[in-house]
Order: sequence, then C-alpha cells, then structure tokens
Amino acid sequence: MRVPLSWLKDFVDIQTTAEELAKKLNLTGLETNLSKFGVYTEGLITVEIKDIQKHPQREKLNICKVYDGNNTYQVITADQSVKVGDKVILAKVGAKLPSKEINLVEFAGVKSEGMLVSLEDLGLEEKSDTLFLLDEDTPLGVDGGKLIGLGEDILEIEITPNRGDCLSVLGVAREVSAIFNFKRKDIVPALNLPEGDFRIEVLTDDCYRYCGVVIKGIKIKQSPLDVRLKLIKAGLSPINNIVDITNYLLLQEGQPLHAFDLDRIEGKLVVRKAQEGEKIITLDGVERVLSTDDIVIADEVKVLALAGVIGGDNSKITEETQNILLEVAVFDPISVRKTSKRLAVSTDSSYRFERGVDIERLVVVRDKAVDMTLSLAGGKVEGFKDIYRKPYKPVRITLSLQKVEKVLGEKLDPKECENILNSLDIPTTLRNGLLESVVPAHRYLDISRDIDLVEEIARVKGYDSFEPSYPKVPTQSFTPQIEFDFFKKTRDYFLSNGFTEVVNYTFTSEEFYQKLNLPVPPIKIENYILKSQSVMRDTVFAGLLETLRENVRFGKKDISVFEISSTFFDSYEEIRVGVLSSGKLIDGYGYTDKETKFSTTKEWDILTFKGVVENYLRSFGLSNFRIIPSDKSYLHPYLSFNIEVDGKTVGYVGKIHPKVADQFEIPYNCYISELNLKYVPRLLDESALKEGYLYTYYINKFTPVYREIPKYPPVKRDIAFVVGVDVREGEFEEALKTASEYIYKVKLFDVYRLSEDKKSLAYSVEFISPHRSLSDEEVNSIVDEILYKLKLKYSDLTLRS
Amino acid sequence: MDIKAQLLQVKTDFESDLENTENLQLLNEIRVKYLGKKGVITSVLKSLGSLSVEERKEVGLIANQIKDFIEESLKVKEEKLKAKELEEKLKREYLDVTLPHSWHSIGYSHPVIATLNEITSIFVSMGFSVESGPEVESEDYNFTMLNIPPHHPARDMQDTFYLNNGMVLRTHTSPVQIRTMLKKKPPIAMVAPGRVYRKDLDPTHSPMFHQIEGLVVDRDVTFRDLKGVLKIFLETIFGKDIPIRFRPSYFPFTEPSAEVDIGCTVCKGVGCKVCKETGWLEILGCGMVDPEVFKAVNIDPQEYSGFAFGLGIERIAMLRYQITDIRLLFNNDMRFLSQFEGIG
Repeated sequence: MRVPLSWLKDFVDIQTTAEELAKKLNLTGLETNLSKFGVYTEGLITVEIKDIQKHPQREKLNICKVYDGNNTYQVITADQSVKVGDKVILAKVGAKLPSKEINLVEFAGVKSEGMLVSLEDLGLEEKSDTLFLLDEDTPLGVDGGKLIGLGEDILEIEITPNRGDCLSVLGVAREVSAIFNFKRKDIVPALNLPEGDFRIEVLTDDCYRYCGVVIKGIKIKQSPLDVRLKLIKAGLSPINNIVDITNYLLLQEGQPLHAFDLDRIEGKLVVRKAQEGEKIITLDGVERVLSTDDIVIADEVKVLALAGVIGGDNSKITEETQNILLEVAVFDPISVRKTSKRLAVSTDSSYRFERGVDIERLVVVRDKAVDMTLSLAGGKVEGFKDIYRKPYKPVRITLSLQKVEKVLGEKLDPKECENILNSLDIPTTLRNGLLESVVPAHRYLDISRDIDLVEEIARVKGYDSFEPSYPKVPTQSFTPQIEFDFFKKTRDYFLSNGFTEVVNYTFTSEEFYQKLNLPVPPIKIENYILKSQSVMRDTVFAGLLETLRENVRFGKKDISVFEISSTFFDSYEEIRVGVLSSGKLIDGYGYTDKETKFSTTKEWDILTFKGVVENYLRSFGLSNFRIIPSDKSYLHPYLSFNIEVDGKTVGYVGKIHPKVADQFEIPYNCYISELNLKYVPRLLDESALKEGYLYTYYINKFTPVYREIPKYPPVKRDIAFVVGVDVREGEFEEALKTASEYIYKVKLFDVYRLSEDKKSLAYSVEFISPHRSLSDEEVNSIVDEILYKLKLKYSDLTLRS
Repeated sequence: MDIKAQLLQVKTDFESDLENTENLQLLNEIRVKYLGKKGVITSVLKSLGSLSVEERKEVGLIANQIKDFIEESLKVKEEKLKAKELEEKLKREYLDVTLPHSWHSIGYSHPVIATLNEITSIFVSMGFSVESGPEVESEDYNFTMLNIPPHHPARDMQDTFYLNNGMVLRTHTSPVQIRTMLKKKPPIAMVAPGRVYRKDLDPTHSPMFHQIEGLVVDRDVTFRDLKGVLKIFLETIFGKDIPIRFRPSYFPFTEPSAEVDIGCTVCKGVGCKVCKETGWLEILGCGMVDPEVFKAVNIDPQEYSGFAFGLGIERIAMLRYQITDIRLLFNNDMRFLSQFEGIG
C-alpha cells in the first residue's frame, strides 16, 4: 500500500523525518520502504492556454500560446484535446524531466519554447493520453513541481493479513501516533441526514450492515486537483468525481464504498444470496456466473453488484448520471473471500473486506462521503437507510502482568502497558494490577485473547528492548540423531567416492512415464505451473536422467551424480538415493616412454558401478544382500539386477537400456541405481521402520563381534571348477564358501570360457582348522567333500585338471 | 714359478678380475674361477703334496689367507653390485609422480543441502532433535492446526500446490511441529529440515525449496529465550559481529510474531541492490507458539509456552555463495556444482 506522507499528515501531526518514520514502522510491525513521487525539477510553471492554431505543415501538432501571468510562450503540443482556457503545466526550457531535458526546439520551422506536460512526461504514469489538466482556479505562474508535490515522500507499506486496520491512511496514522506519541487529528463533518423513504432489504446474515444514501441532482465532472493528486500518489487513476470519492475514502478510511446510478435501479434494493447460475457483467466487462455462496446487491429484476467485490456494468456511474445511491456497507470476510477466490477477481474492496472493516466507523465514512459529494458534485441528499443487522459486541479481555512476564520473560511497568494499549485505540484500564481492555471494532479479527495484547505491548515497546536469554535445555527430550547421521553418512559416502550431489524438482511429467511405457504415478498437482512439472515422481531416476541429458547438452558426458530425495505414492513417501554414472569413470591421459606405457582413462562398467553400490551397503555393515535378476524395462536385461535383503527388494542397479539412451539422447555407457532409504508414512501413528528400507536395517544393524584369529597357518589350494556357462558366479561362490567348515577364504582369480556351454571358475581357496595344521591328505579329502556337496546342486560340475 | 709366487700371482689376478666385474653374473663366474672345485686356489692347493711339511705349512697358511681374502672381497663386491642393480631397477621404474592421478575426481556437495546440514548440525549441537514428515501433507497439518483456518487471508501468504488426492504439497516445514507435538510430550526441542513447495517461479523463488523449522516447548519458555537461541544460531552462521534485529510481523501460528533481519552481508549495512538499499536482509520468521496451536495438539497453553522459527535455506545459500538466480540451484549443471568443492 502506498501512503503519501502529505496525506498521512492530514491525520497525525508528524514531527520527524520520513526516514525515521519508516525505520520505526519497520521495527514495530509495518514493513515500510520509502519512495518518492516523481522527481522535483525547476522550470515547471502553471499556464493558461490562450490560443490554439494548427501547425501549417504538421496536421497532428497544435501551436499554443500559453500565458503565465507575465509572459506568453509559444509551445507546440501533440495533444488534440486541448482547449483555450485550459490550465496546464509548462516545462520551460532548462526543465529536467525524467525522460529528457527541455530545449528550445523547432518543429518544421515553428519554434516551441518548452513543453506542455502530461503525467507520463513527469514519470508519474505509464502512458498518458492527454496533458495533465489543472483546476480552473489554479493561479498562474506558480511552481508546477511544488503544486503537484513532485519529490514528495511515499511510504510503501506491506501489511500482513492480520492488520486489516492498517489498510488505510487513517490506520497508519493511528500506528504512527501510538509509536511516536504524535497528536492525532481528523475532521468529521457535522451532518444531520434525514431518513429516506426508499426501500432496502437485507436478506442475508453475511451482510453485517448496509447503509445507502440517495443523492439527487449531482453533476459528473473531473475531481479537483487535490483529490486527483492524492489518488495518483496512492497509485490509483482518477476517473470522475463520484468514483474518485469512493476510492478516496476507501484509501483514507479503509471502508470500501460503491456508487450506483439510481436511475438504473428498478424497484427496491435487495442484499441477498445469489441464485445458482445467475449472471452479471461486472465493471471490468467480464460476464460472471454466480453461485449461492455469493452475496449480491440486486433490484427487483437484476443483479447490480457483487457485494464487497465489484460493481455491475448495468448500474455504473456514467457521464450522464444525475442521481446516485451511495453504498457504505460491511460484508462477511469469508463470504467475500470465497467469491473473490472462486471468480478470481481481487479488488481493493474485496481485499479490505477479507481483512476486516471497522463497522463502528461506518457512519463517519458515510457522512464524509456525503459531504464530499455535495462539495464536489453538488446535488441534494434525499435521505439514508442504515440496516445494522449484527451490531458490534466488543470482546473484553483481562490481561495479567504475570502473563506478560511469562511470555516475554521480563517484568514490565503496568502503567506503560496501559498507555501502549490506549495509544492504539484499545481502551484499557489498569485495575487491581490487571489490564482490562475492550477490543475496538477496527481490531476485532486480530485481537481476542490476552496473548494478542501481549504482542501489541511487545511490538510497540520494541522487540529490540528485550535482552536475549537462553532456555533451560530440556535434556529429557534428547534423542540420538540416528536418522540425521544415516543420511549424512549416505551423502558422505557418495561424495567421497566421486559422486556429485544434485537436487532435481520432485515434479515431473506424464510424458516422461509414457515415453518409458511406465504407469504414471498417482500423485498429481492440480494447479501446476507447467504441465511438464505436474506429476509427483515415484522414482529419482526421472531427475537423474534429466540431469545427464542437460549436462550432455553442455558437452559434459562423463558425470557421476547422486540425489537423495522423496518419491511419492498413494499413502506414503519413500526417501531414496539415486545414483547415476555415465561415460568415463576417469577421463585420464595416455603415458608412453621406453620402459612404460599406460593409460589412466577408465570407462565405467557394470562391475565397477556395482562396486560403488555394494560398498555403500557395506559401509554401514549391510552384507547379507542378494543379487537377483531385475525386471526394470528401462534397464539392460542382462546387465541389471535387484538387491534383496531378507527377501525384500531394496533397490536396483543396472546399465541403461540402449533404447532409453537413444530416446533421451544420452550416452549408452550409463549406469543407474536406486535404493530405498526410508519409508515415510503420512499417517502419524504408522511406523517409519518398515522392511525393505535401508534406514530400517541401519537402525537394527548387526554389531560385528570379534572372531578369534586362526592359530595355525592356512593351507592354500587353487581349484578350477568346470560348470555350465549359465551358472551365476556369485551364487556358486556362496555355495563354495559354505560347502565346508574348513574353508577360510575364497577368492576368484580366473574365469575362462572353455567351450560353447562350459566355463571354468578358478578360485584360490584357503583351508584352516582351529585345532591343528591341515595335512595335504586332509585337504584332499576336504576338497572331495566340497565337490560332492557342490555336485548336489551343480550336477555336471567337474574339476579342471 | 714356485707355489708361493703362484699364490701371490693368483691374488693379483683376482684383484684385477674383481676390479673389472660389473654385474652379479660375472661375479659368480669369478667366484667359480677362483674358489670352485676346479678353481685356481684348489688347483694350487692340490700341488702342495710335492712340498715339504714345513713348506706345506707355510704355503697352506698363505693359501688360506688368500682364500679368505677372496671370499671376503667377493662378499663385499656382491653387496655393492646388488645395491647398484636395485638402484638401476628402481631408476627404470621411475614415474613422474606429479602426473595427474588416475582415480576418479571427488564429488561435490550441493550448496543447498550442505547449508541445510550445517544449520541442522548447529541446532543438534545445541540439543535439538531432528524430526521429519512427509511432503504430501493434509491441509489440516499444513494450515488448519497451525491456526490458519480455511478461507483465512493468511492462506494467501503461501501459494499452494493442490493435489489430485485432496492433499497439498506442504508449503512450509511447520506441519512437522504439529506432527512432533502430537507424538511427543514437552519438553520438546526439535528442528525439521526439509523440502517445501510454493507456486512461485522467478529468479528468487523456486516452486521447490528447502526450509528448516525449529520448535522449543517447555514450562516458562519466553520471548527472550527465542532471541537468545536465534542470536547464537545467527552468530554461528554469519559470524560474531553480525547485526541482528527483530521486527514485529505476523504468522498465524505464533503470537507475538517476528521477522529477523541481519545486517546485509554484501554491503555491510551501507545499502546495496541485494538488501534493496535498506542495509538489512530478512532471514527468518519466528515467534511464540500461538495458544491455538497448543490447543490443536492437546498441550495446555496455561502450563506450557514455546517458540518456533523457520527459515529458507536457499536464501542463506545464495547469500553465502553469492548465487544470483535460484534456478541455478536445481539445474544440476556440473559447471555450476563443481564450483562448490569441499563445502561439506
């Protein structure tokens, strides 16, 4: 909200600088920035147009003779609407306007001694159609910059939703007065309006109070300069005197008003709920279809306005309007907000009603409106009707000083508290050590409890005046930070293994899933920003692929990245880690000299990538996992696998399917893995420790125990088994390890394809007995036993001689 | 030549042979030549039989002395040559160790997550527990129980993403306050770091971003305690001398509410583009837990009081690393991320 300092001064006697004002407002709850109304320049002067001639060569230019009371200037203007007798501002040669400095110029042989200015020329509006016209009674030859207040301070205030009372010049004045202890002032006209004999019916409780005033015989014209300037300074455009009055008082008092053309109203005026499907064309030219939630102002045949939101086109003020009905009313905040939201129309009026309007001040605003109308537009008051269905019943609050101390941590002077509350127009008396306050109508939405008064006291006193202290550390609530540590360890592992952390949006597109022939995840954003960001992903892989694709676009094909992120399902979320490597593990160099030749370059391959994932599991002691075939359609069918722990899949590892690599224009040599880290239920009482998630295993992890170091040296034997080519080495090795209690260590050292259907797996096996050194004969018989056992599972197994 | 002279000649020959020996193989040949079964010394000693007992004794002594000498000399030479060969072998294996290594490069932390973790750690070290909650959240936890009833203008403060299942993407980490207070009894001191969402997209706003929430609930927790805890935190992150100010503000779930500014870290308070010429940067929101929130989670506001705070991580990361556009943070361009080596 823009509050011109000059307007504020009409209501409070400001005895300080604009800077100090803004600073203090900031520190007491109104976020305020200072700006200026244009830039003051010398050389602007008020003049009257005495003569207008067409330019002999340029049809679109007028040559004007203007008079400043002493001198006459010849000035050329492009404005076609100027009339003799108009009073305008002349920027004389040398005046510095925001866009240019005025020089003596010639237009096709005719000289121009300056420029007649529009608001656009002064940098006060985006686009002006005409010159800025002054009032008829403006004196000639006075400083135009001073007249319109160029360079004046404007307070730009951001008002939080709880402070509807500050959405007006008056409200800000009240704050300023309370904070600085400055004197308030306000001129309220003394009118004695007669009751009118027209009919207004209020049929809904959502209209708290409705006051209509009929004024007849008014004349629509331009508002006087002072009114127009205030509106412009506050950021509104003047329209005509009647509309300007409603806007002026809305800005000044915070009370929205509406003016109807009385002659358009057929029969009595009714405030009621709309009928389903009822229609109205609003002032912005849009046809709106209404629902029974909306409040409307209607006559006996049609809807005239959306109450508190926007007026109707059918009853608006026009040049021809002679008789008006002025509406000063208060509507239910929630009802106004619902209508405003549903129809997506937010106005200065709906904004204020949503945040609460001072129902008790309504009569004052009405009288100010009538007074202004009579003086700006003439006419005669026929009378008013005031239907006050829900009279304001103030809440009374008792606040103890112990409570103040309990919240703020400091004993405050009761007298000071009383003064602060009274200065905010919250009538308060100190009685028996208790503060007794009556909540005024302008704060009814914001203040209802003693704690609300504590805030008022604290903020006006200034938060900076409270010395920091420290809470007694609630040690009973200490819990070890296992979850935090788990995720930290996970990050640290991948970081130190050369993986860079990425953060992708958790929203993705339906297209992504369709492209991969995968079912679209269940959770979708209804009001997305972009269609390509409308689905909550159920896999981290989506983002990682995007990361790779983007980096390939910038010429970086070799990346190793990881992301820890949520994935989204019907009733729960999963935190997963996604890992992706592509291209080269090491983008190195070749080295050659007489004796040595090597290359440091190393491509990623499935076994290296597997090592990264496997080591991660082992890094927190998880080694009882199984490698089983994966069925992910986007992975290479033979270079991929799932990881299982206790029969539950915890993730997958694999090379990307070449088709996917083509589709996404990424390198084929690309490996991905996704592991389930943590189950996140949305229901409060469901446990987060679910099987199939690494965090669960991390929490319940097995603590390794010391095993005695063998006393006798192991006997080493190299054994090569001949098996079918389809035998999975990992399973075979597992079988071998458990085939005899004497086996101490098993290490694969060679895999050799012997024929179409046979391969040899050569192991170096260490045998040990806890009780003695094993003899050759003993080892031979152990090997025989192993062979026997393995043959039960691998029937065509032989030893390679 | 008599045997004595022969022996002396052997010694001289040996010395000259040894002198010319350059490797272990030659040395072995010399050993065989002089000390072998058919070696020079042996054949000389074999001819001793022709001598008298006296002479034999004398020559035998000389012969043994020479034999010892040869053995000793061979031993010394052998060691010398071994050392030399090792040296040569090592020399052949020379490699310039200043060459680039052949292991992978290190991974880079994401500046936002690194900042989030660092901030979390500070509170952990102050005795706060770390809590978490889902990102798809009910309107109840995200708004209503935080004293933001339906149709309240405060809902406009956060542009919300609505989902097809009637829930929302949480707009702040504050619902974790609710979840924690429903599960635990006071005293509570917790932080909740996490991802949050708002329908907003420009150089300083991202539809997905990160926050950390803090909550302390106990008997006699006061506004001054809030100031103290946040002062320690801000001084730890921004340095001991950072100017801090508390400004009254409005959040539906706290009363009184405050926004906290720090002196602009870019211009040191003089006024610049980053702080919009104010000299101050808005860094977090906080306040005393509103009694309505306590009522919603069945904590007696007469008995307990508490404070809560929340801050955006991206803003802090952007200030720290002088990142000008928030969108850079989620593009995952390696040229960007690789600038943050070793930040944690």
